[in-house]
Amino acid sequence: MKKILFYIVVGSAFLSSCTTTTPITKSVAYKGMYAEKPLTILLMPPINKSTNVEAKEYFHSTLSIPVANSGFYVIPTFLSMEILKKESAYDAELFLNSPLSKFGEVFGADLALFTIIHKWDKSGIAAKVYVDVEYIIKSVKTNDIIYTRRGDVTYDASISTGAGGLAGLVANIALSAINTSLTKYVDVARACNAYTFKDLPTGKYSPKHNIDGEELSGKKYFKAMLNKNYR
Amino acid sequence: MKKIVFISISVLLLVSCSPQMNLYSWDKYETTSYNYLKNNDEKSTQELIETYQKIIEKQRGTRGVVPPGIYADYGFILLQANKTSEGKELLLKEVALYPESKIFIDRILKMIEK
Repeated sequence: MKKILFYIVVGSAFLSSCTTTTPITKSVAYKGMYAEKPLTILLMPPINKSTNVEAKEYFHSTLSIPVANSGFYVIPTFLSMEILKKESAYDAELFLNSPLSKFGEVFGADLALFTIIHKWDKSGIAAKVYVDVEYIIKSVKTNDIIYTRRGDVTYDASISTGAGGLAGLVANIALSAINTSLTKYVDVARACNAYTFKDLPTGKYSPKHNIDGEELSGKKYFKAMLNKNYR
Repeated sequence: MKKIVFISISVLLLVSCSPQMNLYSWDKYETTSYNYLKNNDEKSTQELIETYQKIIEKQRGTRGVVPPGIYADYGFILLQANKTSEGKELLLKEVALYPESKIFIDRILKMIEK
């Protein structure tokens, strides 16, 4: 009996230690960021693989605030969008696996941020927005991926009337459903971007630049439940 | 050793207590840039211009300077409205504040000259 217990304890300890990965520092996880000291970043038009037609252009414009606030020079969004369209380079998927040196010549970019929207679904009854976005930052010089994260995010848009009982429950569901349809696209995008870029190494204009290498990096693939209060 | 622990704890406390300040303030940029992309009409353009002006005039970020791209994108909107000299002036302000934008902005200026 004792033996069995012993095995169970050891076995479960072993299992649980397997599921937790040792955290690694940003200087290890994103070493290209520290080695190349990039300053300028071009936001590539998002690649939309979701069924939400709104997703592409609008997501683009939500990226500049978090990246600029991290200390990078973000190449002017609207101006670069116009040039990419003019040069028939608006489909970023074409460049995901090809040399990026042209973007260095034209835009003076050190980095290119690709985003792939895999999913952007609204559920009215559950008052939730399900989002799956992949972020890939590539070095324009080496074409290496120097930062990437992918988030499976559930955005909670529910609200409560405060009324109890069955009538209250029905009212809450109805109200939440209305709220989901009105949930601002930008609120969901902001929460998603903010959560992802929490561990982005800072750029030259941040006081933390080059001294944040010992901070821990986040998980490459993460699941998160967010709401409008997340900033 | 004890001293180090004490210092690191107090630093941690200080960091967590200080209000979260960003490098830049953006006024209503999130909403107005979205509306501009979505509607692209006179009203949304005007609101975006007002946002640019507020970001420039009432900058409350820790750096105390206009964020990257704001002068240039504001200039671009004015260029589209045929306000060429005002637009150009703003593009040059972008280069003055962020010299790393010179490669791109020079290219735009050349396109306008043509």
